[in-house]
Amino acid sequence: MRKVMNEHIHYICERIAVLSPIHSKKLRKNMEFFDDRYDAMADAFFKKYVGILQRDNKDLDYAIDCYLQMLADVTDETVEFLRTGKYTSTTFAEVNSRVYASPRVMEYYMHGLLMSQFLFKHHYQTLSFFIDTLPQFINTTKSYLEVGAGHGFYLSRALAILDERTTFTVVDISETSLKFTRQFTGDNRVDYILGDIFEFDNGKKYDFITLGEVLEHVEDPLSLLLKLNSLLSDDGVLFFTTPTNAPAIDHVYLFNNVEEIRDIVISAGFRIVSERSFLSEDVSAEKAEKYKIAVLFNAFLQKAGA
Amino acid sequence: MVMDKSEILKTVNAIFVDVLDDQDVILTYDTTANDVEEWDSLNHIQLVVAIEKQFKIRFMSREIQGWSNVGEMVNAISSKLN
Repeated sequence: MRKVMNEHIHYICERIAVLSPIHSKKLRKNMEFFDDRYDAMADAFFKKYVGILQRDNKDLDYAIDCYLQMLADVTDETVEFLRTGKYTSTTFAEVNSRVYASPRVMEYYMHGLLMSQFLFKHHYQTLSFFIDTLPQFINTTKSYLEVGAGHGFYLSRALAILDERTTFTVVDISETSLKFTRQFTGDNRVDYILGDIFEFDNGKKYDFITLGEVLEHVEDPLSLLLKLNSLLSDDGVLFFTTPTNAPAIDHVYLFNNVEEIRDIVISAGFRIVSERSFLSEDVSAEKAEKYKIAVLFNAFLQKAGA
Repeated sequence: MVMDKSEILKTVNAIFVDVLDDQDVILTYDTTANDVEEWDSLNHIQLVVAIEKQFKIRFMSREIQGWSNVGEMVNAISSKLN
């Protein structure tokens, strides 16, 4: 068995074994999958994260509770999804009042998601795909835009990887999310904008846009992709991720399979430069389809004519 | 539908065998997730949905999260049937 190197990860695993034995089994399998690079990143991450928690008079136990609360929400939503075949919310207004406009919900949700970045295998696989591919675009990226930065972890990686003269802009609908992103990146190169991406237009085009797990949060993902196409420079690159069959308290648009995602990307005037699909559970493709297990789709896109 | 708890346990056992794809699962009221290796978070959801379908009942979210052993699960089913 692989030894868990990081003291914080070790503590989290031990605590979850007590608080949620059924989730603990999945966590143990995930730990087996992770590698040395994971250990190094998790180490740097948790040092920083625990510091942020402490400045807010919180500790890792608080973050673990947030993570388990988020999982409890996902369990409820998944049971309902398997009963009905639909997500519980279908409009932005619903999830806005239920989640984004609720500081209490956003608080545990953001901490929970941030923890999942280092506890979910498919989140680590996606992050690896991003940080392994992004260096190809260092020379061509003078401006970087992230839409819906969530907890800010991807932005922090982009800040570390891209050229120091690159300009960074974040547009997010949630004040809590922007607060998290600011805390986490702590970089004065970033212009943070609170607002709706559909209304965002500062006359600029961006060389690289990141849209991490946002499409499923909007009623009309095609419109969002068209909007981003209009914000992208001619040779620019869009990195996006979105899941199929992934019920959550703030997911609105259901992609039933990866093919539906590819179709919408093409309809929005993009071509896929490279893509990956990561299963959210360690199961065979057959079982994934039978039980509607979420697949996290990732792709780097360019405009169809580029 | 009136069913006594031992009948419910027998039916639940059959559902576990089917969902976990393991003929050797033998449940008692005291069985916990620690006793059945395949009873993980993914399979827990599948078990809940399969049990609901079989018994034509619906669990509340706090029930789904709260069972600490099979006995509590059987009690929850029984209270909805009888």
